[in-house]
Amino acid sequence: MAHDEDTPARRLLIQLARLGDLVQSLPAFVSLATRYPHQSLDLLCPAVLADLARLFPEVRHVLKWNGTQWHTWAESFAGEFQPSCLREVERYLAELTPEPYSIAYVLNHHPRAILAGALLAAEVQGPNLHGPLNEELSPWAVYLRQVAHQRGSNRIHLSDTFCGLCGVNPPRTPPVFIPSTSDLSGDLAEVGTSAGQWVAVIVGAGDADRSIPIEVWSEWISLLLAHESPCGVVLIGSERDQHAALAIQDRLSPMIAGRVWDATGRTTLPQLATLLKRCHWAVGADTGPLHLAAAVGTCAIGLYFSRARVHETGPYGEGHWVWQADCASPAMWPIQASVKMIREPSTIPQQEPVAGWSLWQSHHDEWGAIFRRVDENDPVEDQRAAIWWQLSEQRRPLQGVR
Amino acid sequence: MNSFETNIARLTRRNSALAAVLRQREGGALEIVPARTGVMSARINGRWIHSAYDPIKEAQAWAEGQSYQDGETMVVFGVGLLYHVEALCARLPRTASIVVVAPDLNVVVDAAAARVWGDWMDRVSWAWGTTEAIGEQVAAAGQPLRLVTYAPAAAFYTDSHRAIETVLQRGVASKAGGQLSIAVVGPIYGGSLPIARYAVSALESLGHRVRWLDHSVHATSYHQLDLLKNSLHRVALQSKYAEMLSRITMAQLAEDPPDLVLSLAQSPLILPALEHLRRKKFLTAMWFVENYRHLTYWQQLAAGYDFWFVIQQESCISALKQAGAKDVRYLPMAADPSVHRPVDLTQAERDEYGSDVSFVGAGYANRREIFPRLLGHEWIFKLWGNEWGGAAGLTPVLQRNGARIDTDTCQKVFNASAVNLNLHSWGGAGFDPEGDFVNPRTFELAACGAFQLTDRRTLMPGLFTESEVATVSSPDDLPGEITRWLREPEGRVAMAAQARRRVLAEHTYPHRMRELLSQIGVASPDRIGSILRGTRQAGALASAAADAFPSVASTLGTFPSTQRVELKQLAAQIRSRGPMGTLSREDLMVLMLDEYRSETKDLV
Repeated sequence: MAHDEDTPARRLLIQLARLGDLVQSLPAFVSLATRYPHQSLDLLCPAVLADLARLFPEVRHVLKWNGTQWHTWAESFAGEFQPSCLREVERYLAELTPEPYSIAYVLNHHPRAILAGALLAAEVQGPNLHGPLNEELSPWAVYLRQVAHQRGSNRIHLSDTFCGLCGVNPPRTPPVFIPSTSDLSGDLAEVGTSAGQWVAVIVGAGDADRSIPIEVWSEWISLLLAHESPCGVVLIGSERDQHAALAIQDRLSPMIAGRVWDATGRTTLPQLATLLKRCHWAVGADTGPLHLAAAVGTCAIGLYFSRARVHETGPYGEGHWVWQADCASPAMWPIQASVKMIREPSTIPQQEPVAGWSLWQSHHDEWGAIFRRVDENDPVEDQRAAIWWQLSEQRRPLQGVR
Repeated sequence: MNSFETNIARLTRRNSALAAVLRQREGGALEIVPARTGVMSARINGRWIHSAYDPIKEAQAWAEGQSYQDGETMVVFGVGLLYHVEALCARLPRTASIVVVAPDLNVVVDAAAARVWGDWMDRVSWAWGTTEAIGEQVAAAGQPLRLVTYAPAAAFYTDSHRAIETVLQRGVASKAGGQLSIAVVGPIYGGSLPIARYAVSALESLGHRVRWLDHSVHATSYHQLDLLKNSLHRVALQSKYAEMLSRITMAQLAEDPPDLVLSLAQSPLILPALEHLRRKKFLTAMWFVENYRHLTYWQQLAAGYDFWFVIQQESCISALKQAGAKDVRYLPMAADPSVHRPVDLTQAERDEYGSDVSFVGAGYANRREIFPRLLGHEWIFKLWGNEWGGAAGLTPVLQRNGARIDTDTCQKVFNASAVNLNLHSWGGAGFDPEGDFVNPRTFELAACGAFQLTDRRTLMPGLFTESEVATVSSPDDLPGEITRWLREPEGRVAMAAQARRRVLAEHTYPHRMRELLSQIGVASPDRIGSILRGTRQAGALASAAADAFPSVASTLGTFPSTQRVELKQLAAQIRSRGPMGTLSREDLMVLMLDEYRSETKDLV
C-alpha cells in the first residue's frame, strides 16, 4: 500500500449521494480517522449537505461538490464540445484543492464519484479496482452488488461495507456526533425543553413508494397522544413534505393538536440535527432524517418496507429498533405495538407478534452493526466474521488512474 | 477646435479615408436637441432616437442587454449619437471587435458635431459605402459575427440594413460546411405535410443530419375523432390528442437532441412544450407556410419559437412581433425539382390529363364564383380536385367526380395543360383584395415547365418577372387572357421555360433551407453559426484545444478533420480506449461533463 500511517498524506472521503448515505458514511470516516490519526482527512459531499458534514467528528475540511454548476456547464455545451469550458472546470477543480489528494476513498458506485476521485486524488480506493474505464470491481464492491441483487442472508450493514471499501474495520463503538447548538426559531425552540417523551415523526421519504401513508401517521400520533402522560410530537420533513404534514394535522383531534410541532421545511440540516437530538425518539421509514437521528444519539424506530432492509440500512448504533415488513406494500401497520414501545419500553421483550412484521434491535460488535430479532427467531447464521476475513484476504494493492 | 474637428482628427488616425469623406458631407440627418440631463440627444422627423431625459443611462441599459461571446465581432446597426456604441465599448472586454454600420454618413457627421468622442472611439471600426462594400468590411473584421441593433436609430434605415444583412447571410451560406443535426416536426395532415417532406429532403441534400418527426402516421386515429357527434367531446379530445403528440415529440427530441428544431405549420408543438424546450436550450424555428389572416393559431405560439419564417411580409411580420415573436423573417414558398419537373406523357395520358385550360385545387368560395365564367367558351376546361360539392354548374368539367388528386397526377395535369390556372384561395368573391403571398403551386408549375396564369399578388414581383409568370388583375379579365395565351403557344413555351430556369436558380427548397439556416446562423453566431462555419469540426476543435488541452486535442485528432464532434462523441472516443486505457486529467473532465450531459434530457 502506498500510504501507511507513517507517511504524511492528505486523504479524501467522497460521498456524493443523499443525506442518508452521507450519515451512514460516518462510521467509515471515523474508522479512517482512527486508523490514520496524524493525517488530515477531508470530505467531499454535495454542496447542500456541506453544512451538516462540517459537524462530523474528525472532519478537517469539507469540499462542496457543486452538481448544479456541473449541470450548467454540461447544458452550456448544448451538445457541443467547447475547449473554453474546460478552463472553467479546471479553475473550479483547482479551487476545490490546489494539490491532488494522496488518496481518495470513493463510497459510491457511480461514475461521477469515481471520476471525482480520479480528478482530485493521485490514487483511488473504491468500487473500481483500476480506474474509471475498468469495470473490474473490488471485493467489497462485488459483495455489495451481490447483496443488492440477491439480498439473502446478508448481515453486514451498509455503513460497515463502506468501511470495507476504505480498507478499514468498523469502529469499535458506533460514532455519535454532537450537533452544535443551532438556534431553533419560534415554537421549535420549545422542543425538548419540557418534561415527557418527545417524539420526532419523520413524515416523508425520498421516494413515494417508501413513504408511510398519512392515515397511518395520524392514527399513530392520535394513539400516542391519547394518554394523559406528557408527550410531544415533532413532524420532521423537507419543504415538499409540508402538504403531508398539514394533512396529518387535519386528521388529528383538536384536543391533541396543541401537542404537535410542525417542523417540516423550516430547518436547515444543522438545525434538524439539533431538533432530532432534543427528541427522545425518532420514528419513520428508512430515510436520511432517521439515520441522522440515530447518529446524534436519539433512539430510532424504523418502519421498513418497500426496498428497505433492516440488515443493510437499519439505524446505526446500539438500542435502535426496526419493524421489518414481510412484503413491499404492507396492508397492516404495527401502530399499537410501536406506540407501546415508546410508552412502555420495558415491555418490548414481551412484544406480541404483529402479522406481517418482525421486530429487530440493533447491537454493535467488532464487525459493526448487527440487528437481532427480538423473538430470537432468526434462522440466519451470522457470517460477518467469515466474510470480513474472506474479503480482506482478497484485497489488492491500490491502483491509480494515471 | 470644435467637436467635429476634434473627432475627425481622432478618426483620421485610424480611418483617413472615412475621415476625408466625412469632411465632404454636410450632415443634417439628425436634429440635435439637448436632453434634460444636459447632454445632446437627437431626433429624426420628430422621433427621438435617444432618450429625451438621459441618453447615457438609456444606452447603458441597452448595452447591458446584449449578448457577447469571446472572439465574436459585434456588428452594430443604428448610429445616432453613438451613446450606445460608447456604452457597448465600456461593457465589453478591450479585445472585443466592434464594427458600426453606417449606411448614411450624414448621420456620422451629425454625431461628430454633437459631442466629443472619447478613447472608446479608437476601438470602433466603421463599415460604410455601398451595401456590398459594407458587407465586405464587416466580413473582413473577423468571424463570428454577432449582429446587434440599436432600434431607435436603425428604424430609419431598415431597407439598407436588410440588404446588408442579406449580404452577410450570403457570406455565411457560402462558407457553410458544417453539418447540423436538425429535427423537422411535421403536421398530422394538411397542406404543410408535403412541404415538411420537401424541407427534409432539401436539408439532407445540403449535407445536414435530419430527423423527420412525422406525425402523419397518427392521422388515421386523429381523424377517427372527427366521427364524434358531440362537438364538445370532439374538440376537447382533439386538443388532448395534439397535446399527447406534443409530448411524444418532446420524448423524441430528448432521445437525440438536435441543434435545431424546425417545425412546419400545423405541427403539434404547444406553447408549454416550446417554453420547456427553450429552458433546455433547444433552438426552435417555425416555417409558417400559411396565410396568417386565415389561420390564426400563431397568436398562441408566437412567443414560443426562437425564429419565425413566414410567407408574407410587413403586416404579418409586425402582427407576429406584436404577439410576442422575437425574430420574424420572410421566407417564400418553393418547389422541389425532383418532384415538380417536366414529364414525358404518353398519348393516352395526354388525352386523359390534357386540356386547353385546367385548374387543380379545392373548391374555395372565390373559385366557385369565378370558374362558371370559364364555361361555354371555345376551349376545353378541366377542373381537378376535391371539395367541390354543391358547385352543380361546374359538374360537367369536374374530373374524377371531385376526387382528391395526388401529387403524381397533379404533375401530369400541369404538364399536359396549355394554360394552368393558378387562383389563390380566398373566402370571398373574386380575387383576394389583400392577396400578397405566392402559393406553392406557382413554384411547382414553374418547376414543371408549365405555363400558368395567376391572379395578381403583391409579392410576385420579388419572385417572378412578368416574362416568367403571366398574371391577371381581375376575374373579368380572365377569359380574355386565357384566349390571348391560347393563341400564343410559342409565348407560353418561352415563358414557362424562363419560369423554370428562375425556379431552378432561386426558388427550390434547398435554396430556402440554405437561406433559413444562414439567417439563423447570423442571428445565432455562437450556436448554429459556429456549426455552419465548421468550427465544431474535429480539426478546428483540435486547433482550439491544442495549447491548453493537448490530450483532448490529441483525441480530437483521431476523428476525420471535417467530422463534427460533440461532447458525447468525444467522451465515447475516450471510453473506447478500453479497460486498460490511461486517462489524463482533461479526459476525466470531459467524461465528467458527459456524465452530467447525459442527465440533461428530462424533457418529458
